[in-house]
Amino acid sequence: MRRLSLIYTRVSNLTFGGGDPTMAALQTELVARHGWLTPEKYGLVYALARITPGTNILAFCAGTAWELKGWPGAILAVLGASVPSAVAVVLLTAGYQAFQHNARAMAAIAGTLAAAVGMMAVSAWQLVRPHLRRRRALRAIVLVAASAYLAYAWHMPPIEILGLAALAGFFWRAPETA
Amino acid sequence: MNAFLLYVLLLKATCTSFSGVTSLPVVRHDLVERYGVLTDRQLNAAVAAGRTAPGPNGLWVVSVGYFVAGVPGACAGWLAAITPAFLIVAMLRYLGRRADRPAVKSAIQCMTLAAAGLVIDATIPLARDALTGPVAVGIAAGSALFLAFTRYATVWVILGAALVGLLAS
Repeated sequence: MRRLSLIYTRVSNLTFGGGDPTMAALQTELVARHGWLTPEKYGLVYALARITPGTNILAFCAGTAWELKGWPGAILAVLGASVPSAVAVVLLTAGYQAFQHNARAMAAIAGTLAAAVGMMAVSAWQLVRPHLRRRRALRAIVLVAASAYLAYAWHMPPIEILGLAALAGFFWRAPETA
Repeated sequence: MNAFLLYVLLLKATCTSFSGVTSLPVVRHDLVERYGVLTDRQLNAAVAAGRTAPGPNGLWVVSVGYFVAGVPGACAGWLAAITPAFLIVAMLRYLGRRADRPAVKSAIQCMTLAAAGLVIDATIPLARDALTGPVAVGIAAGSALFLAFTRYATVWVILGAALVGLLAS
């Protein structure tokens, strides 16, 4: 159990680049290196983690560890995967607050805030890009445009827009899911 | 705002999103527009802090919690980030391979696409706050291109942006 927790802590907190590189690194550890999970079980947990609300990689850690060690494993994996990073986020935020009245620090922080806007734009693009293949593009464009319009022009709450989108998904399926 | 209400509001955001910043529109709607306990600048800084730290990107809500209510708020944000992860156990037990059903897959795809539209909408006020001159616009555009076309870690983009901001001041 201790060895398993250490793997989740090390891989999740030392891998930059988000969920996919982290899940790939965990696949190497859990499937290829130690043989604790079969490729089929890994595939099932990977697929379910993608549709679990919240942060995919945390769901993936909970799911794989639950398969191996039950609830204690799932809890330890999520704690190991999130606590060190959460502490780092708090320290960065506290640093922002401490230096927000220093002109030179604020110039550097203004640069990072501008970069965050670029990151947000890329995040939106990365969510849409896989759905822009020829026969699925129309549905993707309509849904993105409609949700942005409803939020911007009608100030509709995000929850209602997401609910409408889920409803639309039941009736308007992309060719490969129809 | 007390930590419990903050937890409930952030949990609502994390439970209705399927990746890192897709919870941002709900967070902004509740904490910036409805309760007024967070500014757009702080929200933007929280995204930057979440992307700078190693580990799961979804932990940017920890920074939001810290801005709103200090360390108890950060704990509320952390709990809101990890709570939905345990839903996968119920899904593994009861859903299994039925997750591949076309109707379920299609609904989730459409929610993800709608989330992209919501992220675009939420980016507009953040851009108004952060893009105050040509240098900031250049940093935002450069960061977006860098992240879209290279595989370098986000932390290098953040450090580069901070350096450019410092040199331009």
